[in-house]
Amino acid sequence: MKGTKNIGAWIRDAYRIFFHEMRLIFSDAGVMVIFFVGGLLYPVLYNLIYSHGTVDDMPVAVVDNSGGAYSRRYLEKVDATRECEILIYCASMSEAQRLMQQQKVHGIIYIPSDFDASLVRGEQGHVSTYADMSSFLYYKCLTMGTSLVMLDEMHEIQVERCAASGMDAQQAYQAVQPVLSDESMPYNRPFSYTIFFISAALLLVIQQTMFYGSSLLSGTLRERNRSFASLPDQLQGLGIGRVLLGRGAAYFSIYLVIGTLIALLIPWLFHFPQRSEWWEVEVLLLFYIVDCIFFCFTWSTLITRRETVFVLFLSVSPMCLFLTGFSWPMTAIPPFWQKVALLFPSTFGCRAFINLNTAGGTLETIAPEIRAMTLQTVIYYFLSFLAVFAENKVIEHRDALRRVRDRLDERRGIDREEDRRIIAG
Amino acid sequence: MRDIWNIIRREIRIWRERPLYIIASVGVLLFNAVFYLTLMRDGLPKDLPIGVVDLDQSSTSRSFCQQLDATQLGQVIYYDDLHLARRDMETGRLTSFLVIPEHFNADIQASRQPHIGYYVNSLYFVGGALAYKDILTMVNLTNGAVQRQFYRARGMNEREIRARIQPIVLDQHQIGNPATNYGVYLNGVLLPGVLEMIVILITIYSVGAELKYGTSRHLLRTAGGSMDKAMLGKLLPCTLLFTLMGIFMELLLFHWLQYPIHGSLWWMFLDVLLLVAASEAMGLFIIGLFPVLRLAISVGAIISVLGFSLAGFSLPVEAMPPYVQGFSAIFPLRHYYLFHVQETIFGSGMAGWWKEVVHLLLFLFLPPLVTGRLERAYIRQDYERD
Repeated sequence: MKGTKNIGAWIRDAYRIFFHEMRLIFSDAGVMVIFFVGGLLYPVLYNLIYSHGTVDDMPVAVVDNSGGAYSRRYLEKVDATRECEILIYCASMSEAQRLMQQQKVHGIIYIPSDFDASLVRGEQGHVSTYADMSSFLYYKCLTMGTSLVMLDEMHEIQVERCAASGMDAQQAYQAVQPVLSDESMPYNRPFSYTIFFISAALLLVIQQTMFYGSSLLSGTLRERNRSFASLPDQLQGLGIGRVLLGRGAAYFSIYLVIGTLIALLIPWLFHFPQRSEWWEVEVLLLFYIVDCIFFCFTWSTLITRRETVFVLFLSVSPMCLFLTGFSWPMTAIPPFWQKVALLFPSTFGCRAFINLNTAGGTLETIAPEIRAMTLQTVIYYFLSFLAVFAENKVIEHRDALRRVRDRLDERRGIDREEDRRIIAG
Repeated sequence: MRDIWNIIRREIRIWRERPLYIIASVGVLLFNAVFYLTLMRDGLPKDLPIGVVDLDQSSTSRSFCQQLDATQLGQVIYYDDLHLARRDMETGRLTSFLVIPEHFNADIQASRQPHIGYYVNSLYFVGGALAYKDILTMVNLTNGAVQRQFYRARGMNEREIRARIQPIVLDQHQIGNPATNYGVYLNGVLLPGVLEMIVILITIYSVGAELKYGTSRHLLRTAGGSMDKAMLGKLLPCTLLFTLMGIFMELLLFHWLQYPIHGSLWWMFLDVLLLVAASEAMGLFIIGLFPVLRLAISVGAIISVLGFSLAGFSLPVEAMPPYVQGFSAIFPLRHYYLFHVQETIFGSGMAGWWKEVVHLLLFLFLPPLVTGRLERAYIRQDYERD
């Protein structure tokens, strides 16, 4: 009998805490701004900023000292690529260099005077390219444009030379390309910045806004000496579990909505590739959001004042993004940072989202990430449990701690009264 | 003068009492510097996992794989089955994989032109693009090797053969970053971006905390009732610290780590000083516009995170939609970056970057627009505190 009564009380308490937390969240304008405006604004802004995602027809200057049929054909083909557009033919390298310094062109193609003569003689012709390294995309455009044309021209010239030495067309073709290759670049053929950046950023927004919002809230409560860690004492009997679960349920129900908007609706609105079933994304969100909740509960323990979370932890967002391995490859990240990456739900969540939503995998493909997130959830649950327990103890002994501090201050000769007038907080 | 000195002493007292200030400025910058500089310390990734499904198992295909493995960029992982390789690419474990067909060697010998199929996961930017380049190079080298045997059998000399195999040679030069070091390109702007973020947030926090904790009247009293003196005294120690942090950062990048710089390091000090001043002005403008600490700091956070994207060093600004392009000008980091490009890549001196100096100085006209408003808030303390 007593057992059922306890369970009943436990559920009632958890239910009360759930509503208590909901009221706190919805009555705090700052948290609402972070959750709903921040959470939805960033995905939309990033979709707008990166709506195109590739550099097309990058302006290039040409110094053609050869001026023959081969160099003209080469340059015409470069001009025809998606990557490059020949903006201007310069008379000298210094003119081209000046244009690049003025950022009117981002690449220079230099063809020396013996280019055509060498090719006609059956020797090697050299082409020099100079890339503006102020952005890697400029470098990529110039390299891709000039290299692909170089390969194409190479085969054409090889076939001409074989034909000149008496082979028929079929033989010549076979001779210059003994091995053929078929490339297949699924998911993101043009290497669009949009697709790779947004796939990684979307789920990161969930973790970060939840962290900033919940830390804002717990920081405010601590400033007013009303930390949720004092909740267990107000309940009948001690139970930290129901505090965690009750609060967690509040965040869960809010983030299920925000998460669905971020991971399903916004990609759909902006015609972002969605190659998996919608319910598979929901399953991923389920694991990810629960993981994020206990992650936030654990780390927000460090936040004792409302605004400090931004001042201290804002630069963690770009770091988390790099730790997902979306840009700098995971295998090239030093082992120490790979271990640090294990601390964040985003490391697994973002990767799972890339593989599921954008690469069109299935739940089976993201099973390793789901497993990792489950393990993380269990660990963070216990850590947040311990954090609440420890904070509760600190609150209980606050007066004793303060006395110790005052004694220390006295010894160091700090005038606490004067400080209080200046700092107050 | 005496008032300003009193405020500076008061400010130092606050910093000593709240370790947050030092942790959030010096600590955060150092941590970020250690993170990004060690993350990309190789400059270019090494040993990217490239899968190979070798269905031929001949000496030719094996030597192909060994050579691919020997490239600095690639590391070959062998698969027996196409599906396994495909699954590992989908899960992001492989950046790419290639399939060598059955009878590969026999087909080459009989001039039947076998096909090598390769698949690149283009969702992982740097890894995918580099693996693509690596495989493309290897396929061409293989073609060259087969052709070399063929021409040798026909009795050509090496010089002729070289001209036959590769009639056009591309000499590629990278201006400003000869080693194509990804770290040089990224860290040179990412770390100043972190500095911008720190300066904006700390400025907002330190000016806003006076409102939040109701100490603003005490501040004004100490300043003899002058708002200008109060702000000057409050910001002077910050500016000094932030500038020192900026100079340390430039020294770290261009002096100790020897990042390539075409122009002068002294001009980069000027650039970072202007970045600090412009960011402080921006922070002051935001807290003046919204004299509620928690609102101002949220706005400051949103703006400084966007600064990274809109500086235009990852995706160039001209590739963004037109209505976003103009928006990029309101971020000090954008102008810092344009100055940085002129000085480090082209070494163009004042002629190249004077406009950016003007743009960054224009930010200093922002705070006077709102100091009146801020002063009223300081005196009346009539806004919500948190």
